[in-house]
Amino acid sequence: MDREPSLARRRWWIVALLPVLIALGVTAGFVFGGGGVPSFGMPEPVTEEGRRTHTLWQVLFIAAIGVGALVWGLIAWSVLRYRGRGDAERVPSQKAYNIPIEIVYTVAPIVVIIAIFIGTVIVQNKNSALSASPDVTVQVTGYQWQWKFEYEAERVTIIGNSEPGSLPEIVLPVDATVQFDLKTADVIHSFWVPKFLTKRDLIPGVDNKIDVHTTATGTFDGRCAEFCGINHATMNFVVRVVPRAEYDEWITAQQAATTDQAAAG
Amino acid sequence: MTVTVDLAPHAPPASGLLGWLTTTDHKKIGISYMVTAFGFFMLGGALAELIRAQLWSPGSTLVSASTYNELFTMHGSIMMYLFIVPFAVGLGNYIVPLHIGAKEMAFPRLNALGYWLYLLGGLTMISGFLTADGAADFGWTSYVPLSGSARTPSVGADLWLIAIVLTGLAGVLASVNIVATVLSMRAPGMSMFRMPIFTWNMLVTSILVLIAFPVLTSASFMLLADRLLGGHIFDPAAGGVPILWQHLFWFFGHPEVYIAALPFFGIVTEILPVFSRRPVFGYVGLVFATMFIAALSVGVWAHHMFATGAVEVAFFSGLSFLIAVPTGVKFFNWIGTMWGGNLSFGAPMLFAIGFLLLFLLGGLTGVLLASVSVDLQVTDSYFVVAHMHYVLFGGSAFALFAAIYFWYPKFTGKRLHEGWARAHFVLMFVGFNLTFAVQHELGLQGMPRRVVTYPDDSLLTNLNRISTVGAALLGVSTLPFLWNVYRTWRRGELAGDNPWDGHTLEWATTSPPPPHNFDALPPIRSNRPVWDLNHPDHQSPQGHG
Repeated sequence: MDREPSLARRRWWIVALLPVLIALGVTAGFVFGGGGVPSFGMPEPVTEEGRRTHTLWQVLFIAAIGVGALVWGLIAWSVLRYRGRGDAERVPSQKAYNIPIEIVYTVAPIVVIIAIFIGTVIVQNKNSALSASPDVTVQVTGYQWQWKFEYEAERVTIIGNSEPGSLPEIVLPVDATVQFDLKTADVIHSFWVPKFLTKRDLIPGVDNKIDVHTTATGTFDGRCAEFCGINHATMNFVVRVVPRAEYDEWITAQQAATTDQAAAG
Repeated sequence: MTVTVDLAPHAPPASGLLGWLTTTDHKKIGISYMVTAFGFFMLGGALAELIRAQLWSPGSTLVSASTYNELFTMHGSIMMYLFIVPFAVGLGNYIVPLHIGAKEMAFPRLNALGYWLYLLGGLTMISGFLTADGAADFGWTSYVPLSGSARTPSVGADLWLIAIVLTGLAGVLASVNIVATVLSMRAPGMSMFRMPIFTWNMLVTSILVLIAFPVLTSASFMLLADRLLGGHIFDPAAGGVPILWQHLFWFFGHPEVYIAALPFFGIVTEILPVFSRRPVFGYVGLVFATMFIAALSVGVWAHHMFATGAVEVAFFSGLSFLIAVPTGVKFFNWIGTMWGGNLSFGAPMLFAIGFLLLFLLGGLTGVLLASVSVDLQVTDSYFVVAHMHYVLFGGSAFALFAAIYFWYPKFTGKRLHEGWARAHFVLMFVGFNLTFAVQHELGLQGMPRRVVTYPDDSLLTNLNRISTVGAALLGVSTLPFLWNVYRTWRRGELAGDNPWDGHTLEWATTSPPPPHNFDALPPIRSNRPVWDLNHPDHQSPQGHG
């Protein structure tokens, strides 16, 4: 009927599109600005498994930005375009159904869900596969409130103590497959190295193992992620990933220390 | 032969305090639930402020580690068991009979019993603070073996478990009542598919309660037996199975999330049409979406257990993703309701739109969490804390305040002040996002949940400080609300029977309604009889699409 609000209408289109434009702009800025696809807050991974999780996270996050921007945009459009303009008594269209649109907004999410489900299963199957012959196997035992790490084949044992500033440290070779065999001596704990982008619980009666293939050297924090009592917050450890030769030296030094202790004992 | 009939009138119902203590009126019981739940909300919120104060700096010694563990345990327990669901039960108690044109709930005395059991359970839980070893301190999820008598010998833990049993029983009684009321007390013309969506959602929620709560109640009895009677159900040393607790807990715990959400979806679905002057868009699809969410919610419990390494991850991941579909349908229904409308922005509408914006974020991070590999990084971290607060606070609690502003005129006959309501909304919206948005990043950067302190790192410290400032703002946001309620109670403007041009039957009676609810009912020929009565030229279409 009246064409008068068309100008205002066009202006509000832009405002409603803002979430979409900002999301696209930020993403495009990273991708074409030389930064690559952004990490969206996730730490840079230092394992092959972490790399896969990281990629999955980026894909999901971009999909979430897309969906979020679309829905926020529609909400913003509804609120701005259809806000009352002084005529509170006006009765708008009372149409309450639109079957084609209802079918579209039911089927479209199903398609998206199927796609991300397939991606999830592929990544998870790869990440949870266990090697029959890992390069290093570490027995991890959690107890209130520290960790014991045993390199069984190498006869090296690292035991944490609760003194502040003396976190237990384990050393791993780079470009190697490391298997962690996770057990608890008391309550439930959870083995988490945030830069590995994974964690797994230590539960009485459950035999958990995870493999990580290290890809970068460095020193990484490890934590207990499952609340386990009064000193849960300080049940931390350190993982140092080093070149193979340095790892061998460390093992030898640890073996000597263990022998000395045994002799002294 | 003569029959004598005792025609003497019953004693008039008691008034004043005695009236409230002895009432079986669903409206008074509903108000009692809501006021009690709000009291618990303020207590739980105060505990949260202490938690955030402790996390202001790494290494802070404001509270001890053992006190801190009590704080987050009781914060979570109060909010989940004593606030959000009981508030919904109270609102359902008040509104459902009015929505379906009934004069009471089906079982008024059972209703009163449920409320008193809830109050008793709530006081039992917080009485742990008065015992020598303090309140329960093993998290609101109470994982064994930590919550066993060997690791947590405190009386507070036993009180916590007894409280779970009592409040669980209260929830079951209330739900039986709501199901019976909806099925048997509807007014002539009020077919199931003419019921308001809020009432539909209370029905579905109540069925979920009947499925989920008895499982937690039983599990709590099992743990009590382990703790007090020397049982070995969860004791690994004696052949018990600790992970059984997690299965039982989450078989309750995931439906619980929807028990704490569906009533609030219903509230938003009542408010958006009224403030858009349009019917609910896609009513039938919305009802089926609710049923679909409820059905799926009992099959996804182990997505809380991916990191246990003891569950079939693909099955639970797939079903969890699937919940996004009916939830998406709801979003499009809400948008479709506003689309083409004549929107006004009274306080209920502001909070409903706040709900849409924030709950969407919680839903999206929920989809990320359903992806197993991603979950294994972020589960048990602050990312999950942020996600859960976007769903339950950004979602449910915003809708809860929308409900208070929307129905307060019906409860009291007076209308809350719009200006104070806007101040409340702005403070709460900003405070909420400051508090919880940054917690996503804290989790990704490796901060586990339930920690009394964190490493001395500038990124972690700065993010924690933003969160604490936000929490302070969030606490302050309650003040304009409380002042608003007080000033309106003292000298608020009268609202009249139907201040919002409402659609559903509660607006057809006086504010507040008389004890028998209705003197007369309008004809019920659609899902918005009061709108049809007041807008004879724009009646709802009969039938469905």
